Amino acid sequence: MKLELNATPDEVMRAVETLEEFAKARNIPEKTIFGLALALEECGSNIVNHALKRDVQQKFHVAFTCERNQMLIELRDQGPAFDPTVARVNNSPASEDDLPGGWGIGLVRRHMDEIRYSRQGNENVLLLIKRIDDSAVFDKTS
Amino acid sequence: MPIQIQIQKGTSASNTTTVKLSGSLDTVTAPQLESELAPLLTGNVKELVFDLAELKFISSAGLRVFANARKQLKERSGQVSFVHLQPQIREVFDIIASLPGIAIFKDIAELDRYLAARQRSHQDQI
Repeated sequence: MKLELNATPDEVMRAVETLEEFAKARNIPEKTIFGLALALEECGSNIVNHALKRDVQQKFHVAFTCERNQMLIELRDQGPAFDPTVARVNNSPASEDDLPGGWGIGLVRRHMDEIRYSRQGNENVLLLIKRIDDSAVFDKTS
Repeated sequence: MPIQIQIQKGTSASNTTTVKLSGSLDTVTAPQLESELAPLLTGNVKELVFDLAELKFISSAGLRVFANARKQLKERSGQVSFVHLQPQIREVFDIIASLPGIAIFKDIAELDRYLAARQRSHQDQI
């Protein structure tokens, strides 16, 4: 499944809803779907808000596939290079004077098994990987 | 998924307002909640209770709205409480759960006991 999206929050949620339907159709457990949806929402929002600055003329791409025991989500954007795998994470409990920010990537790391980043030409390519119990997934075309 | 926001204002004596959320609190809907809360947070509400029984999804965009609400209420000795968190929502909440000025309850009975004790404590101080 591949989606071309404009750089708006509505488009991020369109991708999330498409992912949820895709995962439900493959009998992926609800709890895992929640984590996948959360990871895509956080990463998509980062692209829209920071990399592409909510410029609706800008596009980004999301693709997802379900292999036998894992779900893969790939996000591509042409914003400035940004590697979230080495970004500072604020995944500890918030403190009294904590500024509300930096929590998103912590949530992604918590819910995904693996995160890979590469810069390919002028594109950020982010791959999110979630392993899934084999028995929970129907053998459907991915 | 959209969000439904239902605000139930309490009596002037209790100063407790309950906000019931259902649906998804995400990058699209968090600004909606923020604007619905704005008049409450600048008003005289001291106890703000979020009932999340029907909340199916939350991201960091939603957490930021709650954290900001808590910050504004705390400035006037108020508090933000949460009740009926679904397990997946509770897991996301761990990030802000330990903040001073935030309390989480499993049900309304537990919340009511807490609010009653808090009110008695305030009256004792007057």
